[in-house]
Amino acid sequence: MSNEEFRRELNNVFDGVSGSPSSNLPDRVRSAVAHAPDARAPYWIAGVAAGVIAALVVGTLYFVGPLKPPSTVGGVHSTPSPSPISQPTSLPSPSPSGEPFICADESIHTQGTPPPPVIYVSALRTGAHPGYDRLTIEFTNGTPAETTVSVQAGTRFVMSPSGITTTLKGQNGILVVMHGSDLHTSYSGPIDIVTGDKGLAEVKRVEDFEGTVQLGLGVNGQACYRTTWLANPDRFVIDVQTS
Amino acid sequence: MSAALIEQRPQTLARAVAGDADSFSRLLEPLLGQAYRLAAVMLDDRSAAEDAVQEAAIKAWRKVEQLRGDASSVRPWFLSIVANESRMARRRRWFSVIKLADVRTPAAEPDEVRSDLHQALLRLTPEERLPLVLHFYLDLPLEELARTLGVSPAAAKSRVYRAARRLRDDLTIEEVF
Repeated sequence: MSNEEFRRELNNVFDGVSGSPSSNLPDRVRSAVAHAPDARAPYWIAGVAAGVIAALVVGTLYFVGPLKPPSTVGGVHSTPSPSPISQPTSLPSPSPSGEPFICADESIHTQGTPPPPVIYVSALRTGAHPGYDRLTIEFTNGTPAETTVSVQAGTRFVMSPSGITTTLKGQNGILVVMHGSDLHTSYSGPIDIVTGDKGLAEVKRVEDFEGTVQLGLGVNGQACYRTTWLANPDRFVIDVQTS
Repeated sequence: MSAALIEQRPQTLARAVAGDADSFSRLLEPLLGQAYRLAAVMLDDRSAAEDAVQEAAIKAWRKVEQLRGDASSVRPWFLSIVANESRMARRRRWFSVIKLADVRTPAAEPDEVRSDLHQALLRLTPEERLPLVLHFYLDLPLEELARTLGVSPAAAKSRVYRAARRLRDDLTIEEVF
């Protein structure tokens, strides 16, 4: 397919997906905007009201509730008994998660509160386990809003933004794309990890640019994998099937 | 767009920024078709796309005072709001993990190529579809495309190329731009 055919075909696909908007869309928008001005009313009123309510709640708690300061006896503050120190959460064992392995693309959308604009990768770890090899991507401040995992034949990846191609060890590839993340603020480890493991042969940074991180994975055998999100600390785990 | 309309736009923009809802609607009207197509491709749902455009228009109206620049800034500003609204609509609608079937077919016949292209497009994430729509479908100049994405022109170029390569892996950057 030539370049022109590709463009034309792509636009045909776009046309097929989108069609035309309803003829009443401009009227809908006009009407919605016309009825929206009330929402533009000064937000400071709501802000002040919220502030007053918060002050009342905090004040009430302060004088009669749990925020009341500890009583002073004979000039000595009675201090509460020390609460047990929470133990650091241990990293989960690398046991299989029970999720089935898949050999297809996957798009993972993190739910929950809106994340900060950029999530920092702090560690990349690999390890071999019975039946699978594991790549763990650890984050410091949340999870990326969107992570995509796609499989490909061969291990040739295009580095971005340079456009230079790189070929990893193994026969097939897995590309992990994390939007809204970076690999250089909190991470100082290697950006090309040759594991020597049976399934996951190599992990290499393909892109770390403008808030997008891409990791190329070179895999021996069929690129079947499963993914898991873990918390405390936040981690994205990719297990590559070896048997 | 006629020359008369172009001349009127700065005044319409000024009145819209000053809080005139009718001027604001007139400012958006020429952009609604493109906004709808952008949302429709991102959401793959025509009805949801119209809802997203309507919601985006309301949000744009609520923060029209933040609009900076001249009349040429309106399109990337509004399209970026539409893209954000489409992302939010998608997140509201989607389950936390979407698994898509592998539709890779190594040796495709011409008819199947068309089908594959369609399926490959739908397999892209909204973030990957967005630069493709802006570049190939809405035909935005690179500078405007970058402003819509909120990135530098070099990064915008990279995103378009990267997404296009996911549809056809033998594309060169010269063929895309």
